[in-house]
Amino acid sequence: MKLEVRISGRTRTVELQREAGGWRATIDGQSSAADVVEIAPNRLSVLLAGQSHEVCVTPSADGKLKLQTGTQEFSAEVPDPRTWSGRRHAGVEAEGRQQIVAPMPGKVVRLLVKAGDTVEAGQGLLVVEAMKMQNEIRSPKSGTVERVLASEGQAVNAGEVLCIVS
Amino acid sequence: MFKKILIANRGEIAVRIIRACRELGIQSAAVFSDVDRKALHVRLADEAYPVGPAPSRESYLRIDKLMDVARRAGCDAVHPGYGFLAENSALPRACTDAGLTFIGPPADAMEALGSKTAGRQLARRADVPIVPGTNDPIEKISDAQALAHSMSYPVLLKAVAGGGGKGMRLVYSDAEFESAFRDASSEAMNAFGDDRLYLEKYLDRPHHIEIQIFADAHGRVVSLGERECSVQRRHQKVIEEAPSPIVTPDLRKKMSDAAVRLARAGGYVNAGTVEFLVDQNLNFYFLEVNTRLQVEHPVTEQVTGLDLVKLQIAIAAGHRLPFAWETITPRGHAMEVRLYAEDPDNNFFPSPGKILSYHAPSGPGIRLDDGVYEGWTVPNDYDPLLSKLIAWGNSREETIARLRRALDEYTITGIQTNAGLFRRILTEPDFLRGEIHTKWLDELLRRPRPSDSSSNDEAQGRFTCDAAAIAAAVWQAMQSVSQSAAASAGNETSSRWKLEGRRQQLDRIP
Repeated sequence: MKLEVRISGRTRTVELQREAGGWRATIDGQSSAADVVEIAPNRLSVLLAGQSHEVCVTPSADGKLKLQTGTQEFSAEVPDPRTWSGRRHAGVEAEGRQQIVAPMPGKVVRLLVKAGDTVEAGQGLLVVEAMKMQNEIRSPKSGTVERVLASEGQAVNAGEVLCIVS
Repeated sequence: MFKKILIANRGEIAVRIIRACRELGIQSAAVFSDVDRKALHVRLADEAYPVGPAPSRESYLRIDKLMDVARRAGCDAVHPGYGFLAENSALPRACTDAGLTFIGPPADAMEALGSKTAGRQLARRADVPIVPGTNDPIEKISDAQALAHSMSYPVLLKAVAGGGGKGMRLVYSDAEFESAFRDASSEAMNAFGDDRLYLEKYLDRPHHIEIQIFADAHGRVVSLGERECSVQRRHQKVIEEAPSPIVTPDLRKKMSDAAVRLARAGGYVNAGTVEFLVDQNLNFYFLEVNTRLQVEHPVTEQVTGLDLVKLQIAIAAGHRLPFAWETITPRGHAMEVRLYAEDPDNNFFPSPGKILSYHAPSGPGIRLDDGVYEGWTVPNDYDPLLSKLIAWGNSREETIARLRRALDEYTITGIQTNAGLFRRILTEPDFLRGEIHTKWLDELLRRPRPSDSSSNDEAQGRFTCDAAAIAAAVWQAMQSVSQSAAASAGNETSSRWKLEGRRQQLDRIP
C-alpha cells in the first residue's frame, strides 16, 4: 500500500509491505528499504540504510502526529486512506466554521462566551481545568459563537467539541 | 526507631519515602484516592488504605481521614512529603494530639518561618540580608510610594498570602504606582481572600539559589550546601543543580551561615530550605523558607552522598545529626529535570492519559525518581509531575552530557511530556555557560524556535526525517488495520467483504 506523509514542509510517498513480524517500507522510490517493527504501542524501531532509529508516535487532538526520535521532533500528517476523499471535503467546508475541541480531558470551570456573541481571534471562549491548572481555550478566528455545547462543571474528554465559532 | 510510617502523599515522593522506609526496615502505610488505586505508591507500599474521592480536598488533604488511617494501621509517625499538607501546621498539631510523630518541623517553627512576612521579620532579627522593602503589610499607599521612590524603581508589589505570581505587580514609576497597587490587591483578594500587599526592590536578572539545612532536636544545625534553581517557567522550577555555577566557596560559607542563623532563630528542627536571590554582584537576599523536603532534594543527595529522607526520619526519632558542616565535601556535579505530563508545543497544556509504552533511562550517573509505569493512566486530578530525572558526573559538562543522553532514552508514548523542552534547554549556549536567571526560560520561550533544518548534521537530519516519515506511515497503516479488525470482531463473516474491499482500495491509492 502507498501512503502520503506531509512532514517538514514536504509531501513524501511511503510504500509499505506487510512482512512476518513487521513492515518493509520504501520512501519516495529510494532503493534501500527500511525494516520497521513495533516495539510497543506507538513505538517503532526503524532500520534504514544501516541506521537504527526508535520513533515514538503521539497523535494530537488536531489529527497530526508528533514523532520523536533521539533529540529530534517532527510533526506529520498522514491522511487515512479509507477516509481520504471525505477528509478533503471536510477540510474545505470547515473553512468558515470552527469546532473548538478540548485539547485534553478535564472539567469546564467557566464559560466566557454565549451563543450569539461576537469574538475576536485569540479571545478566550472557556476555561478548562486539568491537573490543577486552569487553561483558557481561545478562539482560532474572529466570528460569531454559533453554539456552546459545554456547560460549567461538565467533565470533558480530549477531542470533545466544546463550542462552534462561525 | 519507628515501626510504621504513614505516608500522607502520592506519586513519586510517596515512592521515594517508601524506599527509605524499606531500607530502614520500617513498615510503610500508603493512602490513595479513588483514582489512585493502581498508582505506583500503592503497589510498592507494605500497606495501603483508601481515603476518599479524587479531589484532593476530599482525600489527600483530609487530616481527619489521615489520622483515622494512622490509628487503624497502627502507625507511629507521619511523613507529609512535599505539597498537599506538608506546610500546613494543622497536620503536625493533629499528629501531636493523636500521639504520632510528625516527620518535619514543629508547628511553631513552621509558622514562624513559613509565612513570607513572618520569615522576613525573623530574617531581619537574625541579621540575614533581605531584599529591601517593607517588613509589614502596606497600610498607606502614599507611604509605600514614598519608600518605592527612595529605593529607586523598579519595585515589586507582592501579596502577603501570595504565591505563583498572583497578586504581584512590577512597577516602574511613581505614575503607575497607585493603579498597580489597586490591581494587585484586588487580584490577591480574589486568589487568596487576603488583599494585603508588601513592597520589595525588584532585582534585575537574579539567580535563585537555595541552601539545604538540617537541624536536629539537640541544637545542631548544619548546611548541606546550595542548589541553583534559576531555570523557572512562570515561577516554577524546572531544572535544579548543585553546586551552582556562580557560587564561590566564600559565598557558600556566607549563605550557609545566614541560613543556619535563620533556622536557629526560628527554633527549626528537621529538613528545611532557605531560598535566596543572588544578584549580578553576588549580593544575596533572603526570599523565603520552605519548611519541608524539596522536590529537588536528590541533587543534594547526589553530591553529598547523604539520604535526606532517612536523615529526616532519624531526626524525627530523636537521633543526633552525625556530622558537622565542615565534614561534608560536595563531590562532582548533579542536575535534575522535572518531567511533566504536559505539551510544550501546545501552551504547556496538561496531558493526562494512559501510558502506552515507557522506556526509563538508566546507566552510569543516572537516577530516576519515578511515580509512573507503563500501562498506568495518569489521572487528571493532580500535579502533572511524572518523574524526576537526575544526572551526576565529575564536572558540570559531564553531567549535562549524561542528562542529554538519558533524555534521549526517556520516551513515553500515549501522553505528551516536556522532555523536548529539556533537550532544547540543554543545548542553549547561555545555559551551558551557566548564565541563567529566574526570567531566562520565559524569555527563551518567547523567542521563535530555530527550525528543524538547523539541527547538527545535514545528512544525518535527512535520514532521521526519512525514518520519522516511514514511522508515521506504518503507524497510520497499523491504525487502519486494527480499526478494521476491531470493527469486524463482532461480525466475522460479513466483514470479510469489507476487509477485502478496503484492501483493494488501499492498493489503488497512488
